[in-house]
Amino acid sequence: MTTLLRLWSFYARRTTRWPGVAAAIPFIALIASWAIVAESAIFPRAFFPGPLDVVRSFGSLVYKGILPDYLEDSVVRLAVGAAAGTALGIPLGLWLGMSPRAYSALWPVLLFFQAIGDIAWLPILLIWFGFGLATMTFVIVYTVLFPVVLNTVLGVRSVPIDLHRAALSLGASRARILWEVVVPGALPNIVTGLRNGLGYGWRALIAAEIIVGTSGIGFLMFDARRAGSVVEILLGMIILGLLWSVVDGWVLVPIERATGQRWGLITQ
Amino acid sequence: MKGLLIRNLSKTYFDPYAGAHVTAVRDVSLSVNEGEFVSLVGPSGCGKTTILNMIAGFVPASSGDIVLDGRRISGPGPDRGVVFQSFALFPWKTVLENVAFGPKMRGAGKTERERIAREYLALAGLGNAADRYPNELSGGMQQRVGVARALANEPDILLMDEPFASVDAQTRMTLQEELTRIWQARRPTVIFITHDVNEAIFLAERVIVLSKGRLLAEVDVPLPRPRVWDTLIEDAAFKTLSARVLHLVRSG
Amino acid sequence: MARQVRSPRAGIAFVAPLFVLVLLWAGVVRAFGVDPRIFPGVLDVARAGLDSIRDGSLVMHAAASLLRVAVGTALAILASVPLGVAMGVSPAVSSFLAPLFRFFSVLAGIAWIPIATLWFGYGFGAITFVIFNAVFFVVTYNTLLGVASIPLPLRHAAASLGARRWTMLTEVLLPGALPNIVTGIRTGLGFAWRGLIAAEMIATNVGLGYMLFLARDFYRTEVIVFGMVVIGVLWLLLDRLLLAPLERATIERWGLVRA
Repeated sequence: MTTLLRLWSFYARRTTRWPGVAAAIPFIALIASWAIVAESAIFPRAFFPGPLDVVRSFGSLVYKGILPDYLEDSVVRLAVGAAAGTALGIPLGLWLGMSPRAYSALWPVLLFFQAIGDIAWLPILLIWFGFGLATMTFVIVYTVLFPVVLNTVLGVRSVPIDLHRAALSLGASRARILWEVVVPGALPNIVTGLRNGLGYGWRALIAAEIIVGTSGIGFLMFDARRAGSVVEILLGMIILGLLWSVVDGWVLVPIERATGQRWGLITQ
Repeated sequence: MKGLLIRNLSKTYFDPYAGAHVTAVRDVSLSVNEGEFVSLVGPSGCGKTTILNMIAGFVPASSGDIVLDGRRISGPGPDRGVVFQSFALFPWKTVLENVAFGPKMRGAGKTERERIAREYLALAGLGNAADRYPNELSGGMQQRVGVARALANEPDILLMDEPFASVDAQTRMTLQEELTRIWQARRPTVIFITHDVNEAIFLAERVIVLSKGRLLAEVDVPLPRPRVWDTLIEDAAFKTLSARVLHLVRSG
Repeated sequence: MARQVRSPRAGIAFVAPLFVLVLLWAGVVRAFGVDPRIFPGVLDVARAGLDSIRDGSLVMHAAASLLRVAVGTALAILASVPLGVAMGVSPAVSSFLAPLFRFFSVLAGIAWIPIATLWFGYGFGAITFVIFNAVFFVVTYNTLLGVASIPLPLRHAAASLGARRWTMLTEVLLPGALPNIVTGIRTGLGFAWRGLIAAEMIATNVGLGYMLFLARDFYRTEVIVFGMVVIGVLWLLLDRLLLAPLERATIERWGLVRA
């Protein structure tokens, strides 16, 4: 028992000093379990390959230049779609947040289109634009739009009314209030919206690439499925998971926290 | 006429939860001369905040008018500065930028408005805090910034909505003394809203008592200045006034 | 937090703009003489809709989709809530496993479609797996968080009042974690619904997603648009009339505003 406790205390001390280690250890354990299950061949090797097979595939795809190309395609599509969705969504959100009339007129429409979801648009998009970039970009923009708008509206509305009133009694015009009070006040929520938008956006990207694609990680996975090669599917999933975890955990969340904390708006 | 004139002011609104119309302010008339410090005191729900909001222009009056320096008021503006109970400082701006906001809206250039801001920060005793952010300051300091910010815009009248209600009792007394000091230096016209009778008397030259939306009484405060809590708390005249106003408030 | 004054007025306020949208749609199609193969008119869509109700195809597809969602979700909740509670109770276990479940929540739904079709072939199994998956990881993670964030003093208080394991579970842990659980279910269902539609486009021959994709082959845009409307309405009903009030009720009821 004491050896177990000693191991546990060793683990606890190391991970408090290096939280990165704490995050990594569970995954190492997971990979180890995975390797054991795969080796034991409970499931046929063809259906359940081991971590080494995946690494080998990673190496070969990088060597052939396929993986970097596909990755680049996927990332570029997502970036373009997300940028467009954000550029449309923030102004729209600001407008809806500030104008009660526009809000009551458009909110139900917005909710309804959000409920339809981006995927359901694919069939008609394929008729209109065919199997190409336009279709995929539309889907991503559509997906990113709603979280951005919704969160921006929330942000605008969460600016305390006293701040509006203070600005008015200091001589600010409505336009200046937008720039000096509303946008900075809503910024933490806007960043959250962006983060959520990207989260949904990459999922839409994968779906679009699976159904429509000619390249990209989603296409990689679906093509591998067609060829019956599980290894590449797993590789694709791992890359997606890792990529998003890194981007979200080390880029987006810190930005979100920084904007909130800096203005003492989030007491974390 | 210089100063504020309120004639037959009333405010009625519909309360969806009560399912009925509520009259918050009933036919109130009063006047405040230029450079005068007036307190509006009364229990919660007596309509004092509603009156302030109408003077500030945040809320339209149902009937009656409000005239400032001969002009009828409609909507908010820089001629009526406001100090809020919640401080309402812009969290993303530094203290200096907050205080410089009014001049900035009026079109003052950077050097000019920073000069003005520093002047008022010094007046409020906050010279060192210029580059800090509001959330780094204590409640008392934040409210001083609030006062400095409102004054820096040199409004025709300063409206203060229970500004010290959110700070602890000791800080409150310090702030009250600070406020009287600043007021004696600059002599702005001030309407100060509070539910604290002693605070109302300490600060003002005239105390107006409100009850259930109506003006109940006006009490003059002939106490000499400068006023300091240590002496005033034992002063016979203060105690008499305090008892009288308290009686009015409680009986109203 | 004041209770929402819900009334038929709110319902009308919601439907009115959509009604205006439909009118605009009809107007635009007529005014610009849009080719029905590009975008159908309101009447065409309505007619297609009625046909699909009459010949039973709508019911068949909608039922298939909803059944998959129901089964997948029910299985997932049955599996994930107990697991989440068990993991959440121990801080050591929850801090160890939480990153794993968070990672897999990230992958929830659509990304599992290729591997699901490989493991389960086309059809009910693969799609239900995708749905199960989408809900399972998200709900487990949220349950874990919910239980772990129940203030320890609360659990101690219950224990010192004589709560045994079962009582602790039903009177303290589950109610305390309920807001998080419901939020998790709502989020997970969102992923599941979208994963469902995507999966049905690829991996089966019945269901709303399939109905859309099939219509595309024949350029029957009126069926597509009708299908989109059905999908939108179904999700709106599910989310707004069931999930959102449920979420709000659990949070309101407990008056919890947990940081």
